[in-house]
This record gives sequence, C-alpha cells and structure tokens, in this order.
Amino acid sequence: MDIQLIREIKNGNKDSFKELYEIYADGALRTATGITGDRQLAGDAVQETFIRVYRNLDSFDIGKPFKPWFYRILTNECSRLLRKKPRMVSLNRMCDEQGCQVADREREDYTDLYNAIKSLKDIYRVPVVLKYLQGFSEKEMAGILGLNQNTVKSRLFKARNMLRKKLEAGEGRIGLGRKGLG
Amino acid sequence: MDARDWDKKIEQALNQGTRVDPETRENVWNNIESRLYTGGGKESTSHMKRKRNFIRLAASVAAIVILVAGLNTQPGLALVNRIRELFDPEKNITQDIEGTPEERNVKLNEGKDAEYVIYVDEERYGFVRGEDADRIVPNPPLEERYPEVSMEIRQVNDKKPEALIEEIQAKLQQEFSDVTAPEKVDQPVSGWTFRGLEGGKWDSRLVRVYVIDNRKEGSFVITQRYFLEAEEGHGARFDHMLGEFYIVEEQAE
Repeated sequence: MDIQLIREIKNGNKDSFKELYEIYADGALRTATGITGDRQLAGDAVQETFIRVYRNLDSFDIGKPFKPWFYRILTNECSRLLRKKPRMVSLNRMCDEQGCQVADREREDYTDLYNAIKSLKDIYRVPVVLKYLQGFSEKEMAGILGLNQNTVKSRLFKARNMLRKKLEAGEGRIGLGRKGLG
Repeated sequence: MDARDWDKKIEQALNQGTRVDPETRENVWNNIESRLYTGGGKESTSHMKRKRNFIRLAASVAAIVILVAGLNTQPGLALVNRIRELFDPEKNITQDIEGTPEERNVKLNEGKDAEYVIYVDEERYGFVRGEDADRIVPNPPLEERYPEVSMEIRQVNDKKPEALIEEIQAKLQQEFSDVTAPEKVDQPVSGWTFRGLEGGKWDSRLVRVYVIDNRKEGSFVITQRYFLEAEEGHGARFDHMLGEFYIVEEQAE
C-alpha cells in the first residue's frame, strides 16, 4: 500500500499525500512527543518531517521499506528542535487541562514511569520510544539512528535498567510524587 | 516483575503520555498543506517572535545543532556526505524584505571542516571559504562607492560567548561611536547580539555581531557589515540566511 501511495504522491496526487499523512500522523506525533517531551515541538517536528518527505520522495528507494526512512527523518527533526529549547522534565507537563488531579493507582504508576522516560538522556530515550511506541527492531533502529546494532542493544539494555532504578527510587511517595525539577 | 511485564509497562506509559490531540493533528496538516500546496509561508504550531520589523515566515528555528551520530571514526568526506543526506541541497524560504514578503531559493553551503551549514541566497550572494573564517558577500560585488557589505562566520574554539562578548564589544567601541549593550536573542540565532553604528547618514557604516555557543566550549562569532540605509535590505537578508544556520555536531557515545 505504501508503494502505490508513494508512486501517486510522486505524480503530484495531493489526496494520496493526505492519505499518507492519515496513516503516519498519529504514530509520528506520539513518537515526536515521546522524543521531545513537548507537544508543540512534536507538532513542529512532524510538520517539518512530512514536508521533507514530500520534497525528498524522489531520493527514496521504493524497493526499501518506507517506515524506517520516515522515522529517520522524524528523529532527526526532533533532535534538531530539541537543541533549541532546553529540556525540562516537569510533572506539570504531564497535567492536562483539568490540572494535576490525583489519579487512580494505575495511572499514577504510568505517570511516574513516563516522567522517568522523559528524564532519560536523548541517546537512551530515543531508542526506547522507537522500540516501545513503534515496535522497531534493533536492526531497524540501527538504520534509523545511524548506529551499530550492538550500540542500540546496549542503550536499550541500559535504558531499561535506568528506568527500573528511577522507579524503585520513587516508590513509597504519596500521591503523584511531585519530584519537581532537579 | 518479569521482563515481559516491564516491557508492557513501558509501552503503556508511552502510549498514555503521548496521546494525540485531534486538534493538533489537524493543525499540523493545515500547516503542511499551506506550505506545500498554497505557497503560503504559514508559521509552525509554535509561536514565532517578531524581531526588528521583519517576520520570519519559515517554520524552522534558530541555530540548531544536528546530531550526526556515530561518525567519530569516519573521515571528513563521510561527514559531508551525511550532511548532504540530512539537509536539502536547496529550499525556498519566504522572507520579509522592506515590508514585502519575498520568496527566495537558498542553497546549502558547508562551512569550514563541515562544522556548520548555512543556506545562502546565491542569486544575490556568494559564499567564500577562508583560512580563519568564511564570508558571505554580494555577488556581483557592490560598486566602490558603497561601504563594505559582508557576513563573516568565525569560530573561536576556546572562549564561550559570555567570555567573548566584552572583548568584542570593546573592539567595536574603538571603531564605532555608538555601540549597543549586548542583548540576548533567540532569533535569528540563539545567543547574544549587539550593534555598532558610525553615524546617521545613509552610508554610515553599521556592524551587527551575533555570538553563539558552538557547544564545544567555544563560540561562533557572526559579524554582519553593511550601511545604515541597507539595514532593511542586506541586513534583513543576512538575518534570514542566518536563520538557516545549523551547527553540525558529532554525538559521542
């Protein structure tokens, strides 16, 4: 399906490009949010990614899978935008318009874990996001990130251990466990 | 908790934390559509600041560091090739020149040792690589009667911006009667800026300096030279090109 769509987009079919957007937008926004930790930056990254995809489709090898190529561009855009803004890991970012309510126990665990993921350094957080949100294999991630496959494996291993430690350190706190900054 | 349970938790945490807002989804598409199909220079979903009477209509942001991962052992040519893979060789940007939006095609140029890239309006300017600094100059050159017009990009390896600003300001004060205090900015680049002005005539020399962190304990110093009447012309064009300046950094393990 992707190949046919890509051919149509190359021929200037706007509806096909919209269809591609519909297929990839949610995953891209989720991934970009996971990488940048900022919904506005994520929106910008996804916007720039689709524009770059559109403009560079001629250089895409139609014999290769589209998804890893797409996510390579997206991760590069996220890195680019992250360098402009200082990253902040704040519990407040996890609050929605209703504010920081005390949620049920299950939601609380995920909030802490998500914050822990956001607090990881980029080199650990990005593979975690790509693996757990998009299901990329270590080999695919190596291609997307321009890394050796063993490096990806090692970073994922370290990331998972770091997350465990962060969560264990946070156990026993009351309510949402407002760690604040620093 | 076994490994599979732990994987499931991570996945659920990410799914919960990255829920997509339908309005964002729609806004992103609207911006894409506007830029690709209507030729408009619609801004990104983030708020863009207005600076010095010109509006940046491109969605990209100020001097951004691109991580080119895992290239520590590769030779310079591989880095350049990787840069060319990541960056479009040319692009169209919309800039506000003297109050009128103008679309320009700009071309990718790599700086010294490929440590930065910048998009240059090659219809009006040339990119000249030098021993210690690179310069962007009018092409064809201006007539003799005009003061110098140029934008120099120089890297200072051992001094961060905060250490360099006073030094540069002192030098400017020797050359110009009116030198502003350093001001922190985030457009067209993120760093410090100040200006030196010789007088109030149309051809009074003007210099604008930007000092930005090169992320390696040093700085990039960008020096724009033009004249008072050219501030909204060459000055604005230099700023728009500077908005397409990207530092290239290799990520260490």
